[in-house]
Amino acid sequence: MNEEYDVIVLGTGLTECILSGIMSVNGKKVLHMDRNPYYGGESASITPLEDLYKRFNIPGAPPASMGRGRDWNVDLIPKFLMANGQLVKMLLFTEVTRYLDFKVTEGSFVYKGGKIYKVPSTEAEALASSLMGLFEKRRFRKFLVYVANFDENDPRTFEGVDPKKTAMREVYKKFDLGQDVIDFTGHALALYRTDDYLDQPCCETINRIKLYSESLARYGKSPYLYPLYGLGELPQGFARLSAIYGGTYMLNKPIEEIIVQNGKVIGVKSEGEIARCKQLICDPSYVKDRVEKVGQVIRVICILSHPIKNTSDANSCQIIIPQNQVNRKSDIYVCMISSAHNVAAQGKYIAIASTTVETKEPEKEIRPALELLKPIEQKFVSISDLLVPKDLGTDSQIFISRTYDATTHFETTCGDIKDIYKRMTGSEFDFEEMKRKKNDIYGED
Amino acid sequence: MASATDSRYGQKESSDQNFDYMFKILIIGNSSVGKTSFLFRYADDSFTPAFVSTVGIDFKVKTIYRNDKRIKLQIWDTAGQERYRTITTAYYRGAMGFILMYDITNEESFNAVQDWSTQIKTYSWDNAQVLLVGNKCDMEDERVVSSERGRQLADHLGFEFFEASAKDNINVKQTFERLVDVICEKMSESLDTADPAVTGAKQGPQLTDQQAPPHQDCAC
Repeated sequence: MNEEYDVIVLGTGLTECILSGIMSVNGKKVLHMDRNPYYGGESASITPLEDLYKRFNIPGAPPASMGRGRDWNVDLIPKFLMANGQLVKMLLFTEVTRYLDFKVTEGSFVYKGGKIYKVPSTEAEALASSLMGLFEKRRFRKFLVYVANFDENDPRTFEGVDPKKTAMREVYKKFDLGQDVIDFTGHALALYRTDDYLDQPCCETINRIKLYSESLARYGKSPYLYPLYGLGELPQGFARLSAIYGGTYMLNKPIEEIIVQNGKVIGVKSEGEIARCKQLICDPSYVKDRVEKVGQVIRVICILSHPIKNTSDANSCQIIIPQNQVNRKSDIYVCMISSAHNVAAQGKYIAIASTTVETKEPEKEIRPALELLKPIEQKFVSISDLLVPKDLGTDSQIFISRTYDATTHFETTCGDIKDIYKRMTGSEFDFEEMKRKKNDIYGED
Repeated sequence: MASATDSRYGQKESSDQNFDYMFKILIIGNSSVGKTSFLFRYADDSFTPAFVSTVGIDFKVKTIYRNDKRIKLQIWDTAGQERYRTITTAYYRGAMGFILMYDITNEESFNAVQDWSTQIKTYSWDNAQVLLVGNKCDMEDERVVSSERGRQLADHLGFEFFEASAKDNINVKQTFERLVDVICEKMSESLDTADPAVTGAKQGPQLTDQQAPPHQDCAC
């Protein structure tokens, strides 16, 4: 490693691996290291199950009822891919799709008055849903048609709304939608975690609802996809892409020092050796003095031996508990997957409940979600800090990713990737830049 | 047995469905034992003597026939990630056969075989088949690993054994064909032959960038 690189990347989380892949494809000489002996950092899927017990300091070995340890791949951070979202676009442009198989999540549900309901998002589903009364359904349908036709570049589709000025609250009023419908539209379709969006210009919200509907239209059952063997497959796929284009990978590398000269990074010291670089990408855990805490997320991994009640025995689903329903400021999410995704032993389900911490008793905050999951065979609780870089890295050329937030998809992660790319290269992120160049050999016969 | 035409198989780069089965095969072993050369000799019948560390090779495809069945071999390269033992666990998924390779002129590469074998057993499918190959058998003068030691280790690990040379084209084709035979034998023993891992079927939906037609299910 005693060499000079264009870019050194520390940490093999999804953000770091995607950036590493883009840099390598574009001819940069990349050295990618991780202090752990495995890929993925916080976005790893832990396997075998014994390692998960150790990680959470649960005494003793997993009971025999848990099956074979290596059949488990347990995500630490629950997320799904939006079928029409940016991560899918990145997978397609890079052809990392070659390395992965996906399944469509079976359903998306929303919590209302202690019960869960399937989220309606097409006109037909809305009309059939028991979430709304008849008149409400008509109004909601009109709203969905408006959103589907809305095009931010075509004023003829605005119908008197100014996308950059009119608040979303006003748009709801225009369609005369009631509080319950507003709740599930904002939280289960637009996937906002709080109600702050109501007073912001409506363009963003309408586009989020469009993303949801277009993602849903892809494969039917839900707008979400999940990779077989767990989310940890995603960073590994992008790591292979980077390696194919010459990226060097080293795991199990303790990082002793990030060497900075006159305020700018010049290299990284590991096991006494120094690798030099022009730019550095890393996750917050490698630069604790350069990041700040902006909040906390609680995540509870629950192992179940049954599908969640009232989900028609779905082998995978998402449940959103809108904040209003449980007197909170931010939503509670549940992501559930199962042995059908090669992440758990036969007949087992993994449900991960998560939310942004608002009080001193986070475990109490998440209780409404755990109530839906009972009986829970084993629980693994984590409370982690949300860390963001203190500066943009312009001077230091150290570009730090943000920790994964409480959202249940990868749109904010992709936003962070695009932003780091722009700060590193000075040019706007372009998906075309991710495309493999011609020297990639594959296929033929 | 399920065939490609009735499965949902549809990887973009192999969109022609002119095959009955697809086998994913991995070549694994220490750096510079000749994995990529071996792959190129088999797939393209070419050989480049200069040592170039592997860059830019994902996998190559070769179709062969067995008992009137067309079998598409997708043979994957390590992308150089074997150098520091950082091959992703994702790489092993769905592989039905392995060529575990060492260099007969390099003791270290032979000593690493046990380790690679453990990796394969840990991360691959239970029924995956492995062949041990001692490459560079044209370099008899520099040999440090005798055929006998190679054979003994193969016996110990329960693998079949070949010595081969990508440079002189010795036993290359034979290695792949034997591996295919072993996989086929295992397949006919296996009861669950509709397993997508066997037919090479991609599970789940194929991701595309094409927009699905909007729902036209207005009911009023």
